[in-house]
Amino acid sequence: MRLAKFVKFREEKFGGVLFETKSEKVFTLSTSAAAIVREINVGGGDEAAVVARLKEQFDARDGDAIEREVKAFVADLRQRGLVEE
Amino acid sequence: MRAAGTEASADAATPAPAPVSSSVGAEADDLAAPLYVAWQITNECNLACLHCIEESGPGKAFPDELDAAQVFSVIDQLMDSDVPYLSFSGGEPMLHPQFFAMVERVTSRGAELKIETNGHYLTRENCARLKELEVKAVQVSLDGAIAASFNRMRVRGDFDLAVQGLRNLRDAGVPVEINFSPAKFNMNEIGAAVDLAYELGAYSFYTGRTMYTGNAVKAWRHLQIEDDEYERFFDTLRQKVGEYRGRMRVYFHEAGLLDELRYRLQHPAALIIVLPNGLVKLINALPFVCGDFRTQTLTEIWANFRHAWRDPRVAAFVDELAVDPGRTRTLHQWVHL
Repeated sequence: MRLAKFVKFREEKFGGVLFETKSEKVFTLSTSAAAIVREINVGGGDEAAVVARLKEQFDARDGDAIEREVKAFVADLRQRGLVEE
Repeated sequence: MRAAGTEASADAATPAPAPVSSSVGAEADDLAAPLYVAWQITNECNLACLHCIEESGPGKAFPDELDAAQVFSVIDQLMDSDVPYLSFSGGEPMLHPQFFAMVERVTSRGAELKIETNGHYLTRENCARLKELEVKAVQVSLDGAIAASFNRMRVRGDFDLAVQGLRNLRDAGVPVEINFSPAKFNMNEIGAAVDLAYELGAYSFYTGRTMYTGNAVKAWRHLQIEDDEYERFFDTLRQKVGEYRGRMRVYFHEAGLLDELRYRLQHPAALIIVLPNGLVKLINALPFVCGDFRTQTLTEIWANFRHAWRDPRVAAFVDELAVDPGRTRTLHQWVHL
C-alpha cells in the first residue's frame, strides 16, 4: 500500500494535509490520521505492517483500538482513491 | 494514540473547483507554507488573446522579470518548504528561456507540476520531454470547437496547431486538461468543445465566466455574455457532466466573481500567485501584492500573505466590486499591502 499517484502528504502542526493534485482536493488530517499516513508514505506495506509499526510507537495497551482505527481510516482513504496497492 | 477514523479526513475542497485559483480549499492560517503556487513565469506570449487577463502578447515580457538565478532560487525555496503543487503559466510559459530547466528542477524534487499553455509549442519532441520530466498535467486553452471562433479569441493563434499539440500530448502519454473561456461568439460551441476535449484525450475540462479585466476590457463588446445566455451555457455543461461521468471530469465555475471573493475573504486558500517579476499576489482577481521574491523569503511572504487577507483595504475593494463590477479593470494597478 502506498499513496496514490498525484497524492502528496505534508505534516503540519495540527496533523497534516493530503493533497490529491489531480482533482485539486485537499484533505486535512488530525495528528493520529497524519501518523497513519506517515507510515504509509514512508514505510509502506500492508495494513498489518502499518498497525505493527504504530503499536511500536504508541501505547501497546491501545493495540486493538489502533488496529480498528487504521482499518477504518485506510478504508476511507481507499474509498477516496488516496492510496493504492 | 487517539482514534483517526472519520474525524481525521475532512474534505476541505471548495464545492465548485472550476478555476484552479479557487480549488485549493485548505485554509491558509494553519499551514506552514502554501499548498499551491501558481507562477506566471513570463508575460511574453506569441498570442494576444481578446480576453487575456494578463495583457500578455509579443514583446510584453516585463522588463524586470526574474533572471535564471532568481527563478531557481525561488524554486529551491518552494521545494525546501515542501510545497507540493505548482503550476507554470504566463504569458506563454514555454517561451521562457529556462522553461525545461525549471520544470526539471521542480519535478526532480518530487512536487507535482501543471503547465498552462496555449498549445502552440507542443511539438512531439517537447511532449516527449514533458513526459520524461513527469509533469502532472498540461492544460491547454481551447476556446472553441472550430477554427473560426478559436482564432478569433486567440489573436495570432492557430486552432489546428493547438489541436495537433493536444494530439502530441496524448500520444506521448502526458495527462491533458482543457480550459475554455466563453465569449458571445463561442458559447454555443460549448457542448461540441467538451466532446472535442474528450476525443483529444483530456481527463478534465474547465470553464467558468470570462472576467472583465485585462484585454477583455477593450474587447468586451465582442465577449460579453448576458445572464440568460450563461444560464443556457451552464445547462449544457450540467448535461455534459452526466454524459462524461467516469470518463472525463467536466468542471465549471458558475458563481460570479463577487461570490468567489466574498468566500475567499472568510476562507483564504493556501495559494499564492507569483508574477514574472517575483511579486506575489493574494489572488488573480484582486490587485493586492503581499510579497516580493526579489527581496523576501518564502517564510516572510507567507506570513504577510496571511495577514494581508485581513487588511481592511481588501474587504473594501470587494465591497466596491458589489457596487461597481467594472473595478476589475484596475487589477493591474497593484496595491502593496
